[in-house]
Amino acid sequence: MREDAEREETVTLHLEQGGYVRCDWRRGTRITGELARGAIKRLDELNDGIKRPLLVDMRGTASLTREGRQAFAEEYSASKVALLGESPVDRVIANFTLSVIVMSIPTRYFTSESAALAWLSGDDTRT
Amino acid sequence: MTTPGPDDADARLDQLVELVVRLASGDLDARIEASPAGDRVDAIAVGLGMLAEELQVLTEDMELRVAERTRQVADAHRQLERLALYDQLTGLANRTLLSARLDRAVARAERRGGPPAVLVLDLDGFKVVNDSFGHSVGDLLLVEVARRLRSVVRDIDTVARLGGDEFAVVISHATVDQVVDVATRIQQALQRPVQAGAQQCWVGTSIGIRLAEPNLSAETLLRDADTAMYVAKGRGRGGIEFFESTMHATALRRVRLADELRAAITDGQLQMRYQSIVELGSGRIAGVEALVRWQHPVRGLLTPDQFISVAEDTGLVVPLDGWVLETAIAQVAKWRSTVLGGSDFGMHVNISPLELRSPAFADDVLERLGRHRAAPGDLVLEVTETQLLGEDAQTALALEKLRAAGVGVAIDDFGSGYSSIGYMRRQSVDTIKIDRSLITDLDTDPQQLRVAAAILGLVEAFGLTAVAEGVETPAQAARLHALGCRYGQGFLWGRPVRTRTMSDHLRARAHAARAGR
Repeated sequence: MREDAEREETVTLHLEQGGYVRCDWRRGTRITGELARGAIKRLDELNDGIKRPLLVDMRGTASLTREGRQAFAEEYSASKVALLGESPVDRVIANFTLSVIVMSIPTRYFTSESAALAWLSGDDTRT
Repeated sequence: MTTPGPDDADARLDQLVELVVRLASGDLDARIEASPAGDRVDAIAVGLGMLAEELQVLTEDMELRVAERTRQVADAHRQLERLALYDQLTGLANRTLLSARLDRAVARAERRGGPPAVLVLDLDGFKVVNDSFGHSVGDLLLVEVARRLRSVVRDIDTVARLGGDEFAVVISHATVDQVVDVATRIQQALQRPVQAGAQQCWVGTSIGIRLAEPNLSAETLLRDADTAMYVAKGRGRGGIEFFESTMHATALRRVRLADELRAAITDGQLQMRYQSIVELGSGRIAGVEALVRWQHPVRGLLTPDQFISVAEDTGLVVPLDGWVLETAIAQVAKWRSTVLGGSDFGMHVNISPLELRSPAFADDVLERLGRHRAAPGDLVLEVTETQLLGEDAQTALALEKLRAAGVGVAIDDFGSGYSSIGYMRRQSVDTIKIDRSLITDLDTDPQQLRVAAAILGLVEAFGLTAVAEGVETPAQAARLHALGCRYGQGFLWGRPVRTRTMSDHLRARAHAARAGR
C-alpha cells in the first residue's frame, strides 16, 4: 500500500540483537504529531507488551512539532530512550524536547551511538 | 548534501534577521526551513521556530483563559448586580434599584409626559402570619403578593420590595386618576386569600401615595409615601392616602408614641378600668368590661383609641393584649373568691382580631385561666365586628376551642360595620354587643327603635345574648328591656371606674343582695 510505503520511508523500526529497538527517522523529516503517534503505535505492536530500550536515530530530521513532542512525552513501550543526533539542529530539537516537556520515560540525548547503546544497556559510565 | 558557501551564509543570516523581525511583530507562524546542512544557522532557525510554536500555543491558551475569566467576571458582575439591585426572595427590584428608577423618572418627567408617582404599601396582618405559621409560610405569602403586584401594573412601572412586608410601586408619568386606579386594583388583588403552602392567609394593605415634584429626591418621595401610608393605616385598614405636608408631624408623633408604649407596657404605666354590664330586668351587675388606660407621664390618661392602631402596626398589640388578659383574669379570679360568690358574672375583655388568628392564642388564654384558677365561664372575649376579617379558618378554630372550654365570645360594636351574620349563624359566638350608634335616640326616633328591634329579633333567633352599649337614659333602658334585650352597658349605670371602686361596688351589691334575701 502506498501509505505504508511512505511511512516505511519516513521511519523504520527494528528489534536489534542487543534487545533494544532501533528507530530511524529519514533525514529531512518534519516529525508531526501524526507521524510520532504512528511510530509509537508501531513500536508498541513490535514490543507486544514488553518494554524495551529504544534508540532513536534522529540525525538530520528537519524539525519536531509541538504535537510531536507531546506524543513522545506520553507513556509507551520503551523502558528508556536514547536520542541520537549529530548536528546543531538535532541538538536544538532534542534539548527542546527534553527541557520543555516532562518525559514520562527516561530520555537522554547522545551524539555517539556507542555511548547511547551503552546507556541503554544500563552502562552509564560512558555517558 | 550541499554545504552553503560564504555568500549563502550571509543570505541565510539575513533570512534569520528577517525571521526574528517577523516573529517580534507578532507573526508567530513565520518559519525558515532548515537546510540539509543542519548547521548552526539551521539550528537557530529551528530553535526559533520551536520557540515561536511554543509561544503561539501559550498565547492561544492564555487567550482562551482570558476569555473564560472575562466570562466568569461578567457572570459574577451580573450576579452581584442581582444581589445589589434585586430582592432575593421575590425577584422584585430592591430599594436601591427603585430609587434609581424613581430619580430617573423624575428627571425625565418633562419629556415623558408628566411626573411619576410612588406608592408605598405594607401588609396588614403579615406579622401575625409570620409569627403563627413561621417564616416559610410568610415567605410564600410575600412571593405571591409580589406576583399579584406585578400583575396589576404596566411593564414600564417598577414594583419593589423595600424590606419585610413593605413594597413600593413607581408609576411612570401617570395622572392622579390612573394612580388611584392602580392603588385600588392593588387592594383588590390583595383582598383575595393567599394559599401559602398548606395555609390560607388573609392580608390587606394600606397604601400611601406621593406624586413626584421636580427636584425632589427618590429618598424624599419614598419617605413621604411611607408617611402617607401610616396615615392611611391610622384611618383604618385598607386605606389609600395621598401625601400632604402636614402628615410629617403626625408620623413623627406615631413613631414616638410607639416607643413610649413599648416602655409603658413594661414600666407599669397601663391601668385598668371596669364598666358595669347590667341585667336590664333586675338591675344586677352581670359583668364588667375591662378597659385599658395608659397613664402617660406627659399627656395624661389615654384611652385605647389613642394608641391601639399604633400598637397593631408595631406588633405591640400582642404584649398589650397579654397585659390586659392577665390583669383581667387575675381580677375576676380575685372577685370570684371574695365578692361574687356563685352569681353569674362575665369579665369582658377586648381582643385584637390579629390575636385570634394566632394558633397559640386559645392555649395562651386557657393557660392564664388555669394559672389564676379562674373559671373559663367568667371570661368573655370581645372582638370588634369591623375587624373580624373574612371567613378565617384560624379564627374559627380559636373561637371553637375557647368556647368548647367554656369561654364566652362576643361580637363588639355590632351594627357599626360589616355584617357578622355568618359568625352568628354558625354559632361561633355567644353574645352580641349592639353598637352605641343604634342605641342613641332609641327613645325618640321610631326608625331607630325598629332597627334595634330587628337586631334583637335576629339575636334571639340565633339563640344568642344581647348587650346594648352606650345606654344613657332610663327610657332607653326601658325600651331595650321591652324589646327583649337582656343586658345593657353605659353611663346610665356608670363610667369605667378603677379596680378598687368596682370592687367596692360589687361588694356593696353583694351585701344588698344578701340583705334583700
